[in-house]
Amino acid sequence: MMWLSDIRIAVASLKATRVRTFLTIFGIIIGVASVTLVLALGEGAKHSIKSQVALAGGDVATVRPGKLSRDQQGDVTGYDILANFNASTLTENDIQVVSTTPGVAAATPVMGLRGSVSGGKHTIEDTQIVATNSALPQVLSQRVKTGEFVNPDINRNTVVLGDTIANLLLDSDQTTGQQVTIRGATYTVIGVLAHSDTPLALNGLFDSNMAAYVSLDAGKAMNQGLAQIQTINFRAKDGSDLEAVKRAVTARLRAEHKADDFAVISSREALSVTEGIFNLITKYTAGVAAISLLVGGIGVMNIMLVAVTERTREIGIRKAVGATNGQILRQFLTEAIIMSLVGGLAGVGLAGLGAFAITFLFALPFTPIVTWGIFGAAISVSLFVGVLFGIFPAIRAARKDPIVALRQLQ
Amino acid sequence: MRSHPVIELTNLSKMFGYGDATTIALDNISLRINKGEFVAVMGPSGSGKTTLMNILGLLDTSTHGDYLLSGQNVGNVSSRKRAKIRRTKIGFVFQSFNLLGRMNVLDNVSLPLMYGGKSKLARLHAASRLLKTFGLQEREYYMPYQLSGGQLQRVAIARALVNRPSIILADEPTGNLDTKSSEIIMHELREIHKRGNTIIMVTHNPTLTVYADRVIHMLDGRIDSDSSERKVRRRNSKRSLGGAVEAKK
Repeated sequence: MMWLSDIRIAVASLKATRVRTFLTIFGIIIGVASVTLVLALGEGAKHSIKSQVALAGGDVATVRPGKLSRDQQGDVTGYDILANFNASTLTENDIQVVSTTPGVAAATPVMGLRGSVSGGKHTIEDTQIVATNSALPQVLSQRVKTGEFVNPDINRNTVVLGDTIANLLLDSDQTTGQQVTIRGATYTVIGVLAHSDTPLALNGLFDSNMAAYVSLDAGKAMNQGLAQIQTINFRAKDGSDLEAVKRAVTARLRAEHKADDFAVISSREALSVTEGIFNLITKYTAGVAAISLLVGGIGVMNIMLVAVTERTREIGIRKAVGATNGQILRQFLTEAIIMSLVGGLAGVGLAGLGAFAITFLFALPFTPIVTWGIFGAAISVSLFVGVLFGIFPAIRAARKDPIVALRQLQ
Repeated sequence: MRSHPVIELTNLSKMFGYGDATTIALDNISLRINKGEFVAVMGPSGSGKTTLMNILGLLDTSTHGDYLLSGQNVGNVSSRKRAKIRRTKIGFVFQSFNLLGRMNVLDNVSLPLMYGGKSKLARLHAASRLLKTFGLQEREYYMPYQLSGGQLQRVAIARALVNRPSIILADEPTGNLDTKSSEIIMHELREIHKRGNTIIMVTHNPTLTVYADRVIHMLDGRIDSDSSERKVRRRNSKRSLGGAVEAKK
């Protein structure tokens, strides 16, 4: 019951210095909002990755160049991604080796290039071009909406477009048969993929809807005859054990390469590495954002110290009529906590709006999510900040000598 | 007729500072104040009257000696206990009124009760009833800045009474008031005294001593004269001197 009167008095005191109170709360709002937003972005990205794995099913794995570090249990502990895509150790022969491994239903290579693509309507510079084989839709769960997928038996100058890029480049619904120019050469569109909601993280985070797919031969032609295969993805046969198939693939490739210059990762394993990376990025960014929250907390402490000094006489009066030190401490601490909690709630709200705005403005491939966990964490942290930065001024207030305090305006 | 001593100071001293800078604010004071007395304390600056009031009001503790309030030794109790005693047994009236500017009259008067944990309704009810006896009921929801000096002091007196204290300590209650308002305040205090309250008032103004029935003069931390002494001597000439007030040294 005492808490209610504490809160009532605290609110009355805070309202009496409205502008100051608002500015102090604003500091907390900024701090909480930035941390919450960062965490929400991280959560959204992780969620998106998880859903890709779900979509791909547990049957898909990827062979990548470069070394993978595994710990004693065989769990992936680290992987050097970017460094190894440029000089791939994977060869065209490897595609054959993988696809003929027992247990493998199909294998598809991904060779990534960039270049300008022009259609009847539009030109897009720096488009993602993917050189692959006919098994890509099957292995990576893409569906062909119109026409057919890349086929090495057909003319080399054929292309399949993602859904979004097809809409942007071609000006009629009759997409197949139209001509586009890719890196200066003319290609005929033979098919369009259905819209896919999940970006293909395993293969370098490209948006499958904005990519142009050509055959591996075409890709080689664009790359001075060299096949730079970034990944070879494969799907295990229904009912087979993915781990066993991975081991088989690894063994055969090792025999071919005579070196351990490749890595075979399942979607789930890649997820854990990516998730680990995202977690790290999120943590560091949140840490930096937390600095702004720290500043907000210092603002609370600063203002409370000023308030205590200003209200010295009030403290004296309260003590004279019988307030204990503890009651004075509680009164001032409550004010600090109220400011922090209000700031925390408003900060989460602002982060939610910010998340919405960012998704809208930057067309992220994932949605930032403010989970209940993040909400709870934000509120707890605000409470903690309120107590931490409010306790020192509150103790100062509690320790004021009533005689000295009352002498102030005598 | 001898009534109970509500205040009993025995060999009370208060010192400030250390070594060569020691000030003796109160020098071995023994004092007894009975229930229902209206005592005026006078003296020049530095005589120790403010210190005496602070100690009586439990805002300060003595260096030596005992202080019994209503028979309870309150000299060395914890700060929390002192707060509780202030809340339940002591009422203050200050020269500068000392009301809380951000609360209305009703909330100000009920303040001592709030720290006593009384429910909101009970508090406000008690405060309202008291304000009625002061004729201030219409001003219940007024803010302090809307009231005159005289009205403010009456509100302060109401606050001092709301917890039904054993003693009321008034420190220059008319110091900030004009003559007319001062008169009103003193009449108010007289009325309160008539109802049986014990009042100890510090004042510089000799004309106000007519309201009191006992006047104590202080000088250099000691009681220089006590108007009740004559009465005591007269009374005790018929009995032994055990425990009588020894004010002059």
